[in-house]
Amino acid sequence: MGKIIRLGTILMVFCVVSAAGLAYVYMFTQPQIEANAKLAYEKSVKEVLPKEGKAVAVSPRGYSSTINLLVGIDAQGKVIGIKVLDQKETPGLGASIVKPDFLKQFIGKSARDPIEVKNDVDAITGATISSRAVCKGVREALEKK
Amino acid sequence: MSNLLKDFNQGIIKENPVLRLMIGLCPTLAVSNNAINALGMSVAVAFVLICSNLVVAMIRKITPDEVRIPIFIIVISTFVTISDYIMHAYYPDLYAALGVFVPLIVVNCIILGRAEAFAYRNPVMSSVMDGVGMSLGFALALVSIGVIREILGAGSVFGFQLYNSAVAATIMILPPGAFITIGILMAGLNKLENKVL
Repeated sequence: MGKIIRLGTILMVFCVVSAAGLAYVYMFTQPQIEANAKLAYEKSVKEVLPKEGKAVAVSPRGYSSTINLLVGIDAQGKVIGIKVLDQKETPGLGASIVKPDFLKQFIGKSARDPIEVKNDVDAITGATISSRAVCKGVREALEKK
Repeated sequence: MSNLLKDFNQGIIKENPVLRLMIGLCPTLAVSNNAINALGMSVAVAFVLICSNLVVAMIRKITPDEVRIPIFIIVISTFVTISDYIMHAYYPDLYAALGVFVPLIVVNCIILGRAEAFAYRNPVMSSVMDGVGMSLGFALALVSIGVIREILGAGSVFGFQLYNSAVAATIMILPPGAFITIGILMAGLNKLENKVL
């Protein structure tokens, strides 16, 4: 019995020291982490919205991840900017949806356009599902707006 | 002094954790798809490994045998969480690329393995040297794999485009590429050992 208490106490001391150390590191890294997240979001909004309009965030389901998209739409209801905030699609294939060559196809589209792969959007070779997901996201953003 | 040098040297080639001891393969496979990720992971592992070896060697006299493993885990996870916070705060791009593999350093066998097999039985200086050597060995293996995979699979190295990525062998930056590269490197090192080491 005495042994259990002794071992337990030693473990507890280690945990307390560890927790105190972590609390200290958390205290000075947390403000920076929050500032980063805010900065990154503001920067993305600026990128997709060079002029007046509205930025809409959508999260269509891709091939192997949820794709977080930010779509900038102007007052006339046209897409003026689009950016992939976060995705974990297949590297080398689906992950190519972040490339400007693919994304620029969506600029100028509005709710009247079909925005469909094989129709008015060229899919990325080997990444039809990821490409379709982006199309779906853009359509959703235009509807939401 | 020569002993310290030996502790240091051991991990780099002769007992290279990835290519010789074959431990820590999970993060090696997962984050070696390009050179920058590999380097970032190596730095994080080096920080955790050296700190945990140092602390484990320092407290080994007051650590009861029965609870040494939970104590190692507490020490290791504390350093992992610290590196996680620091990377998240100051290197957000790298943090986003490494993702879940930063917290997973906790279960990297190299770290617990070195705590148990080396730091728990050796004085502080030797343990630190062992940590530095093992980290360099891990970094060497991981960055080599990362560079090879990035060049063959994405046509670039450290993000610098060497040739058109459209003709690169995409398979090399997908999971099979990791196995292929590790296998060939291991075979090469074994061959080399029979000849020179």
